[in-house]
Amino acid sequence: MNATPREIRANILRISHGSGHGHIPTCFSVIESLCAVYSTMRHDPQKPEWTGRDRFVLSKGHAALGYYAVMSAFDYFPIEDVHTFGAFDSNFGCHADRLKVPGVEVSTGSLGHGIGVAAGMALAAKIARSDTRVYTLIGDGESNEGSVWEAIMVAVNGGLDNLTVIYDANGSQGRCLPIPNPAERFAAFGCDVAEVDGHDIDAMKTALQEKGGKPRVVVAKTVKGWGARTLSENFHEWHRRSPNAEELRNLLEEVDAWAV
Amino acid sequence: MRGQFKDTVSDLAGVDERVAVILGDVSFYMFRHFQEAHPDRFYNMGICENALISVAAGMSAMGMKPFVHTIAPFITERSVEQIKLDMSYNRFGGNIVSCGASFDYAWDGATHHTYMDLAILRLIPDTEVIQPGSNREIDSLLRNRYANDKTTYFRLSDHPHDIDVDTTFGKATVLKDTGAKVTVMTAGPLLGNVFEACRELDVNLVYFHTLKPIDRETIERFRDTRILVVHDAFGLHEAINEVPDIRTRYHGLPDQFCGWYGTLHDIRKRIGLDVEGIRNAVERAVSKAENA
Repeated sequence: MNATPREIRANILRISHGSGHGHIPTCFSVIESLCAVYSTMRHDPQKPEWTGRDRFVLSKGHAALGYYAVMSAFDYFPIEDVHTFGAFDSNFGCHADRLKVPGVEVSTGSLGHGIGVAAGMALAAKIARSDTRVYTLIGDGESNEGSVWEAIMVAVNGGLDNLTVIYDANGSQGRCLPIPNPAERFAAFGCDVAEVDGHDIDAMKTALQEKGGKPRVVVAKTVKGWGARTLSENFHEWHRRSPNAEELRNLLEEVDAWAV
Repeated sequence: MRGQFKDTVSDLAGVDERVAVILGDVSFYMFRHFQEAHPDRFYNMGICENALISVAAGMSAMGMKPFVHTIAPFITERSVEQIKLDMSYNRFGGNIVSCGASFDYAWDGATHHTYMDLAILRLIPDTEVIQPGSNREIDSLLRNRYANDKTTYFRLSDHPHDIDVDTTFGKATVLKDTGAKVTVMTAGPLLGNVFEACRELDVNLVYFHTLKPIDRETIERFRDTRILVVHDAFGLHEAINEVPDIRTRYHGLPDQFCGWYGTLHDIRKRIGLDVEGIRNAVERAVSKAENA
């Protein structure tokens, strides 16, 4: 990694300020999960198409800015490139396009799609008797979609123990359709479940590395906006907001002062 | 036609290890020999059509050539966003093979009818939309298109026609060209009725199994005639009308749910797509052309 999670958050804030785009609180909730995935899976930023790579699918596609910032930290491209975020003709849209960004496996955005595609990738790897693992990151809000649970049932029934689902439990649906006790639910569906602090990279890595005979779900207990007090305490207000110059200064100070 | 689909895919799976079949708990018994021959490439995955499409897209992403097969309205109208995004926008592609459209499940009512499949899938960028009308067509077109890395939709029928047509992908067949003032254009299994209805009439007759890409060159040949599109679905009429300055009339589905139960033939008779109904519609077109 060429950047710390704190620096990644600062990059996200600066790009969001400059572009006027970004789902900052949701990006902040998944930074450590993404860092753990990219620290765990087999990949080569210099050869994004390497056939021996594991696959990662960002099913909660609106965390794209966080995804880009983490990929940049893992040397896929310079962070300066991402400053065109959301602009006309940019390769870095507010939802990632696999045909434009090297290393992005699936173009996502509409919720409830990526996990099914990831299950298909895992199934294909099984058929090919490959040891490829497939990782996907889904949101708790996204899991309001029935297609998420269809994919989970298919993965369990198909014995896809090469599929790891990271469930970003940031509580974003508390005001709408909350999913209490997600670990119990995934276990009831037949998954191998771990529940960890989603902001502890080492704990996440440990959880990701464990393998059982079932599809694995790592429930990452996170805080939406984690890393900046203003964001974590007002994540609904900041869901799709970009900071102005003064807010940027304050948020960068908050990130700098955040006690890990 | 489902039997031919099974036979053709079984042949393909025997020579191409990338071929896999995903069923939505339909045609399971029919594919039992496929399952025995290729147990690791056969999945009766469940009644979860959205997931079937997403999973197939993921398999395509890894280089496989999956066929997703179940009942038409559920795998198309219900799953149109998965088809649009997971297969097409991502350019993973995949083969979608439906059954039960064209009122094959008339007795089940409108929940099992499929009015929009051809029309909406045609509108998704980079798709191919095929409505084969006979076993020869589905065999040829499956073999030709299954490995093309695109999203390709095949709409099967339980009531194929037995007329010999060109099975080349993207090519229409001119079955009659008498220089008449009226040209009848149709697609898929309805050709049997249309052919019979037009047998004694002085009209040109053009048949399509490929709705996208539509054969514009053949349509252009008849641009100076009065074109009547006779179809048991939406999609063909709209495709023909996209040829610049072509003006057509449509004889097909009414603007209502055709929930009268019975059989395919009962429904066709009620909406004027039996031989007599089509003949009447064509005769009206001929009469208008003569009086124009």
